[in-house]
Order: sequence, then structure tokens, then C-alpha cells
Amino acid sequence: MTEQTPHTANDAVSSAAPRPLVVAVAGNPNVGKSTLINAIAGTRLQVGNWPGVTVEKKEALFEHNGRKIRLVDLPGTYSLSPYTQEEIIARDYLVKLRPDLIVNVVDATNLERNLYLTVQLMELGIPVVMALNIYDEAEAKGYRFNLHGIETMLGVGVVPTSATRRSGLTELLDKVLETAAQPADHAPRILNYGDDVETAVALLGDTLRREHPALFALYPERWLLLRLMEGDERLRQEINLAQDALPEEIFHHLRRGHGEDLEALMADARYSQAAGLAREVLFKKEERRVEMTERIDRVVLNRFLGIPIFLAAMWLVFKLTFDLSKPFGDWINDMAGGPFKHWTTVLLGLVGAPDWTVSLATEGVISGVGFVLVFVPVIFMMMFFITFLEGSGYMARAAFVMDRAMHAMGLHGKSFIPLLLGFGCNVPGIYATRTLENPRDKVLTALLIPLMSCGARLPVYVLFVGAFFPNNPGTVIWSLYVLGIALAIVMGVFFKRTLFRGEAPMFIMELPPYRMPSFTSLCLHTWEKGKHFLIKAGTYILAVSIFVWFLLNLPWGVEHKKDSYLGQAGQVMAPVLSPLGFGTWQAASSLITGVIAKEIVVGTMGEIYAPKKGEQKKPEASFGEDLQEIAVSFGKAVKESASNVVSTFGVSSLAADEKEDRGPLKATIQQTFTPLSAYAFMVFVLLYMPCVVVAIAMRQEFGSWKWFGVAFAYQSALAWGMAMIVYQGGQLLGWGV
Amino acid sequence: MQMMPLGLMGPGERGEIVEVGQGTPECGGCRCKEERKPGDVRVEDMGLRVGKQVEMLNNSSNLVLLKVDESRIAIDRGVAMKIKIRR
Repeated sequence: MTEQTPHTANDAVSSAAPRPLVVAVAGNPNVGKSTLINAIAGTRLQVGNWPGVTVEKKEALFEHNGRKIRLVDLPGTYSLSPYTQEEIIARDYLVKLRPDLIVNVVDATNLERNLYLTVQLMELGIPVVMALNIYDEAEAKGYRFNLHGIETMLGVGVVPTSATRRSGLTELLDKVLETAAQPADHAPRILNYGDDVETAVALLGDTLRREHPALFALYPERWLLLRLMEGDERLRQEINLAQDALPEEIFHHLRRGHGEDLEALMADARYSQAAGLAREVLFKKEERRVEMTERIDRVVLNRFLGIPIFLAAMWLVFKLTFDLSKPFGDWINDMAGGPFKHWTTVLLGLVGAPDWTVSLATEGVISGVGFVLVFVPVIFMMMFFITFLEGSGYMARAAFVMDRAMHAMGLHGKSFIPLLLGFGCNVPGIYATRTLENPRDKVLTALLIPLMSCGARLPVYVLFVGAFFPNNPGTVIWSLYVLGIALAIVMGVFFKRTLFRGEAPMFIMELPPYRMPSFTSLCLHTWEKGKHFLIKAGTYILAVSIFVWFLLNLPWGVEHKKDSYLGQAGQVMAPVLSPLGFGTWQAASSLITGVIAKEIVVGTMGEIYAPKKGEQKKPEASFGEDLQEIAVSFGKAVKESASNVVSTFGVSSLAADEKEDRGPLKATIQQTFTPLSAYAFMVFVLLYMPCVVVAIAMRQEFGSWKWFGVAFAYQSALAWGMAMIVYQGGQLLGWGV
Repeated sequence: MQMMPLGLMGPGERGEIVEVGQGTPECGGCRCKEERKPGDVRVEDMGLRVGKQVEMLNNSSNLVLLKVDESRIAIDRGVAMKIKIRR
């Protein structure tokens, strides 16, 4: 971890030093923790990953009443036991880096369960301030809290908050500063585990003090003792304590009286502390009314209606995403291809740059980066809707409904959403695996996503289907989508039996109550999800685009595309592809560039096959006219996007329209491919390695190239194998004429 | 006193948990430390523990949906069968 903050509770008092107050924010999942942090920190929030893992880490540095505060968001956990990745992160941070203070975000509508974590946090001996969040909803339900009671019984400060309404935030920060100013007066109460346990704890304490006194400098005393009582293996190994180093007689008495499982005994004790506290301080009106959440759930989770409702919801998300974003994507594409290229050429011409730099800047950089930017509206729009589904609580229901179907692939219901998104574009699909808690599910899902035929492959299908299967284009394209799904199921089963052997982890998930997410928090979360793509993928893509440009234009002064490095690479690759029916250097070169983005296959084919005609020179536009053009066409895009929503059911955004006249290209293709080899080629395009952007997304999500390597290997094999089966099988059946 | 697995409750039924997946020979449940892998969440940490009142909300697929306190929790039927309740 980067921000080492080694200090004891004492030097936090002398806080004239410029060191910021370190405040860890802990709480259960679904308690509005991130909304609260967003509301407090706003744009000062920085999102990264916890070292070595892909769990998000949010931090913010800001000032309140002249005091610098560093907020560190811990992953949402139900407890601090060392079993899930999130729990281990939270616990290691709290125990080893010892923040000055913990803000414990608690769901006021579900106090008892939340207090279980509170009780564990209190054992760390760090001052705790409780944000009693969702307070407004709890009050509306008729709950009354004895806030003073909580403060005195627990020894923690309590502030009612409502993150969605931004109320109580200043009071919370005031309380944080007040508590941090006098940490000694705000030590959490020590809760009693009952005589038997406490006697054993005291004995254990004596033993450790005698034999391992150094430990107490490293760990909070009571926490250390309680964890060792519970038989915490992870901690025991961490402090290098032999299994039998602790005298058995300490535990003997307890085990006789309470059974073998001391961990369960301690958990029960802690839980009854939480339950007892909740009883004391919370007054509920005794009435059992059917809540809105349950009424909605009865319909949405209905055995017969559940899946149709889910499919309809997904269809709508899909539809809205593409209808809304496509005009903007087109706009970016047109801008990059038109005015930007034009003015770059003009500017470079003015400074007298050599021709090749102009070509590099326009063909390489602007076209390449433009290709990525075209994805931006789709990705942000999709992230927006996903965030909405998550925030509203429906995402958890979707996982519930789809669970059974997904078991066939060795996955849980939650994996369905990333896979579905993959049909639009694999990249947001990969990023959406973030919503899966389990690393195994994450990786397995991400490996299968590239088999979902994304929108970028459609232009390739459209070109070939137009040339070879004009009579039934829909069926042929549909068959490719189905092939992708079928192979995903096969590969899912295969991976389940090989790389991911063993039981799917058991499924326990909380279905949060339905809530209307606020627009600001939706935007913030969308931005957080999308900006990684914008920044990092943008830089990688830039490099790759330049690289490909050089491949196409080197060696210097290459006359014919065939002699460029790319052409040469295509010639080397061609024999490998000949059993598949398209062993030409042109096809091979196109496939190589298709690695950047699969629609480039079409573009490269156009460049290679079609002899260069003199480019139609548009009348030179002035800079002013171009600016106007940019603004006008953006206006058009907004209008188109808006009208797409209105007529959302009639727009055919996915039926990729063939804008340019590809007549000559089609004719050339008809000469070099047969219908059979064309189909084999499409199968290959469907299956061969995922595009660079997907590769980068996988690298970002899994922290190494390993899983992309696996995807690359299995997909290459699958693509080659399937295309070969199609072509050779077809020939045997006599279709290859 | 009538004990039954939680997974057999019908929708709308309520009961009190009397045992949480302990002592089952296959040990795929919730207590056995050796079997636990990273990523497993304890059902107990989510509020399903002895003495709790639970209500079955939905029991029509391979997941069951329960109401405990103020939370709705979905668990595998396999796990649900190892939790015993008293009506």
C-alpha cells in the first residue's frame, strides 16, 4: 500500500502537523456508503484499485473547517472475518495501517444486522463515528432511535444522515473532527463476551504478554486476543505462531462447555450483542404491512413472468443504449474523418511537415483514435443504464431470475448481464464483470464474453452476406449469433471441467430494497466506470494505431500494399488459413488489422482490393465553415438521438446500414471467395481473438495479461477449428462449388 | 415441535431458525472451515442465524428468497436445505 501511515493513537492528538486526518469508511454492502462518499467528496474522489486485486478503492483528500481529511473507502463487508477478498482488504487496512478514525455507515432501516460489523469495528480500539444512513426512510417507516443511547452504550459518535438527500453530511464531518480532536475520550466501549470467554481471553493475554510481547505493538490488543480465540488461521500464520503455541487449557474449558466451534460461539456472542443493542435503542411500530419492494418483487420474481420481464428490460436497455448513442458515435466518426483530418493536413502543410507525417497523423493517429472514440458514447450510455439498474435494485433481481439458466455454464445469474452486454460491445461487458464478487465467476464470464457477437462484427457480416447470401441475409447473420451462444455454453462447460474445477461457490446475495437513484450519483458512477476506458484505452490504442500505420507503409516508399510489412505478414499467415478456404494474403492482412477493431477488416479489405481511385476532392471548406459544420451536425446528432428514444420501437440501429457504395469491393470479393469460404471467413471473424480494446479491458480488470492470453489461445484454436470444420465439411458435402 | 428444512417452506410461511447447516456429512454448508474458499460468505453474517424469524418470500426456482429482519436474502436451495426451522 502506498500511503503508509504508521502512528499510534497518541500522535493523532498533536494534530497541528500538516498530516491529514485519515478516516476509513466502513459498512455493509447496500447501505449507501458510496453515495455518501460521493456526496461528501464529489469530484475530489479518486478511484483506483486496492494493491494486487481488482476491488475498487476510492479515496478523497479535502478540507473541513481548516482540517485536511483523507477519506478511504473500504469495500462493503458484512463482517471482518478473513474469508472474502473484501473482508481481507478492509481488515488488513484497519489493523495494519490504523486510520485515525472509522466512519461506520449503517443502514438505519436494518440496524441489527449492521451493528454486527459495528461491534467488530469497535474491537479495533480506533474511535468510531457512526453515520446512521437512510435515516429519512427509517423515520418514514415509523422507526424511532435513541441516538444518545447508542452513543453511551457503544462509546461511538452517532450522526443521522441521508446521503441521497445530502443531509447530515456537515454534522458528520463536524463529529469526525470533534472525535479526532480527543481520541482518548472517544474510545469505543469494550463489549463483554460473557464470563467464560472473558476468562479465557484474560488467560490468553497473560500467556502472550509473557511469550510474545512484541505482538501487542503490532496489533490492537483486544482484537488480537479475540481473533486468536476464534481460531483465526490467517492471523495465526501471519504472526508465525505454531498451531500448538497456545496452551490448550485455555480453550479446553470453553470447548467442554460450548462445543468445538469457538468461531461460531464468538460470532453468536457478537450477534447477541448487536441484537441486544438494537432492541435497546430502536423502537418500531409493530405492524406488518406489505412494502412496495415486496409487491414489485412478487411480479418481477414470479415464476412465469420473471424471465419475460427481465428480457424485456434488457431489450429496452440495449435498444436505448444504441439508439441514443449511435448518432453521437457517427458524429465523432464524421468529425474525425472530416474536419479533423482536413485541418490537420492543412496545419501540417503550413509548417512544412513531410508528407509521411501528414499521412501518419491523419491515417494513423486520427483514424485509429477516432475508432476508439466512436465507442465512447455507447460505453457511457450503457454504463449509465447499468448504473441505473444497479442503483434501483433491479440488477440483483435479474441475477436471481437468470440463475438457473446460467448454471448450465457453471456460472451464477449475475454473470448474465455482462454476457448480454457483450452483444452490443464486448468492452462494456468486460467492465461489467466488476459487479461479480467472486474472482472465479469474473474470469470465467470475461472469457466467454468475446463469443458474444458484438456490433463491430456486423459490418463484416453485412458485406459478405450482401455479396453471397442476398436471398436470406437475416438467417445467415442470425446463425452466426446462435453459433457464438452455443460455443459459449460448450466452452463454459469445458472451462468448468478444466480451469475452474470444483463447485461453483455457493450463492448468497442480498436483494436490496428498490430505490430511485439520484441523477447526480448516477452520473458520477457512470463517469467512474467509463473514464478508465477513455483514458487508458485511448493511450494504448494510439500506440497501436501508429504501429499499424507503420506496418502498412514500411519499408519506405512501398509501392504495392502486398510488399508492405502488413502485406508480407499476410503472405506468411495465408498458408495457415488455406485449409479454411481463404488462404490469400489479402484476407490474412485484413484479419490482422481486424485485431484493432473487427470492423476494420472491412476497411482494410477496401483499401487492399479496391485500386486507389483518385480521391474525390471536396471543395475546400474554410475553418469557420468547418466549425459551423461540427456544431450543426452535433445538433443533428442530439436531435436524432432524441427522436430515436421517442420512436424507440421503430428504429433499426442494429441493422447496420450500408452507407458507402461498396459495389466494386463486393464484386472483387465475389471473385476471390465462394459462398462456403465466405461463411467460413465470417465464422472466423466471429471467433478469432478479441480486439485490442477488449484485451486492454481484460488487462485492466484482471491486473495481468494472463487471462487475455487464455482467451487469445482458446479463441484462436476455436476459430481455426470451426472455420476448418465449416469449410472442409462443406466441401465433403459438395457445397464448395 | 416440528422441524423442517428451510428450503421446504412455502411462500408466505414463517418460522424460526433452529439450526444452521451444522454436522451435515458432506459439509458443503456454512460452518466447516476446511471447506471454505475465498469468496464464500457466511449465511450467518447476513443475518440467517439460530433464533431468527424468517419468512419465505419466493420458493419457485433453484434459489429461495427469504426475509430476515429487514433484508431480503437469496440463497441456493442446497444451502436452504441445511438450515432447519421450527414453525
